[in-house]
Amino acid sequence: MTASHWRQLASVAGLLLAWQILVQAGRINPLFLPAPLSVLGAMWEMTRSGELPWAVLVSLNRVVQGFVYGSLAGVLLGLLAGAIRWVEDLLDPWVAAVYPIPKSALFPLFMLWFGLGNPSKILTIAVGVLFLVLVNTMAGVHAINPVLLKAARDLGASRAQIFVKVILPGALPSIFTGLRLGAGMALILVFITEIEATKAGLGFLLWEAFQLMDTRHVFVGVVTFGLLGVATTWLLQWLERVTCPWIQRSN
Amino acid sequence: MLLALRDVGKAWHIARTGERVPAVEAITLDVAAGEFLILLGPSGCGKSTLLQIMAGLELPSSGAIEFPTPTGSGKLTSMVFQEYALFPWRTVLANVGFGPEVRGVPRREREERARRLIELVNLRGAETRYPHELSGGMRQRVALARALANDPQILLFDEPLAALDAQTRRVMQDELLRIWAETGKTFVYVTHSLQEAVLLGTRIVLMTAGPGRIKQVEEVTLPRPRHLTGRAEAALLDRLDALLGEEVQRAMAS
Repeated sequence: MTASHWRQLASVAGLLLAWQILVQAGRINPLFLPAPLSVLGAMWEMTRSGELPWAVLVSLNRVVQGFVYGSLAGVLLGLLAGAIRWVEDLLDPWVAAVYPIPKSALFPLFMLWFGLGNPSKILTIAVGVLFLVLVNTMAGVHAINPVLLKAARDLGASRAQIFVKVILPGALPSIFTGLRLGAGMALILVFITEIEATKAGLGFLLWEAFQLMDTRHVFVGVVTFGLLGVATTWLLQWLERVTCPWIQRSN
Repeated sequence: MLLALRDVGKAWHIARTGERVPAVEAITLDVAAGEFLILLGPSGCGKSTLLQIMAGLELPSSGAIEFPTPTGSGKLTSMVFQEYALFPWRTVLANVGFGPEVRGVPRREREERARRLIELVNLRGAETRYPHELSGGMRQRVALARALANDPQILLFDEPLAALDAQTRRVMQDELLRIWAETGKTFVYVTHSLQEAVLLGTRIVLMTAGPGRIKQVEEVTLPRPRHLTGRAEAALLDRLDALLGEEVQRAMAS
């Protein structure tokens, strides 16, 4: 561990310790800010009872489905639009119109159309992920050096081969940027879609705790969302390292 | 004769202004088997455009391009670009094998061919590296091996050494001559460097400032190795310098 690591550790440990002491000394009302150890305890109880793992599974199911559908559609449409002019012309006005809409604002519409169950939630997440991945994929295709396309053509590649062997790998770094942003968006949207008309999920658990003024359990929800965020970031970083070994990384 | 240009012209259409800008005009030129043909001219004389037309990457606006002899199974031309144009996501081996890969050559065969060519360009040991892990000179060696992998009859070079430092350029010039002699391929080589033209070429086609026309064709029979300080070389250099100077003046005046 470097000196920098030690300072970071000291920062986190010091703040948590001060927080714990201030609550125990009665200087902070635990109704507003429960002590770290008591949040940890609640987390342990809820894990043992199966309540927390179940909530995580229910939410992850929505997140993963929405993320996979949204990013598959985003990558495919983005590659096609980036490579073929008329596809871009057909898509452009829709991207311009829908991209600025907060995707959570579409959730009520989807509930009207598809009911209160999983489909409307998954669709909201998928649409949120789709646009981020689509826009980044298109940007990635446009950023490919044209001389690479020329070289591929000169070496005898067909249009389909150029698409698979030049455009796809060339756009891959940008696609990963889109996927990272999309994963963050998926977690935001799963929370929002689980506030209303749900009986399960991490968002539901957190919101219900809020309505009961159970701050400990609110914190459990917040911390678990944070852990999910860290886990998805790691997963995507690992995937990028495996699929794009040619990218220069600073460390 | 491998390739013939008959009264070839190319004009670019600028959509914004509706202008037609001629790049090259009235080019009639035969490329003979085994020669090291230099296209020499000031910047903007359309020599790269001419190369793209030979490669089939651009169609001429007027005139015709002819391939008198059938080419068999190989490809007629392959291009080496100034900026290398290597695929950053492919290793050296996979870059060199790209041509055979898209042309359906089985993996074992194309890897064997790629390894042989990597050896020819003196890059043994670098097979598994990515382009960003190579120096400029090494990248251009990979580009050369990749162009050779399709077994073309003609290699087209678009100012391949312009991005290299002077030392590396000298080494690469000798390497190009060695590979030209070893493979017996025909080289068509675009440059704006007089020195390069005199050191490398068996024939020098001097072009006018844009729109590019052929100003003069020089057969170069000087023995090799050539030295820029040699008397015959210096005389040729002077003559070309005067001719090229006129064109540079014209280009700046227009």
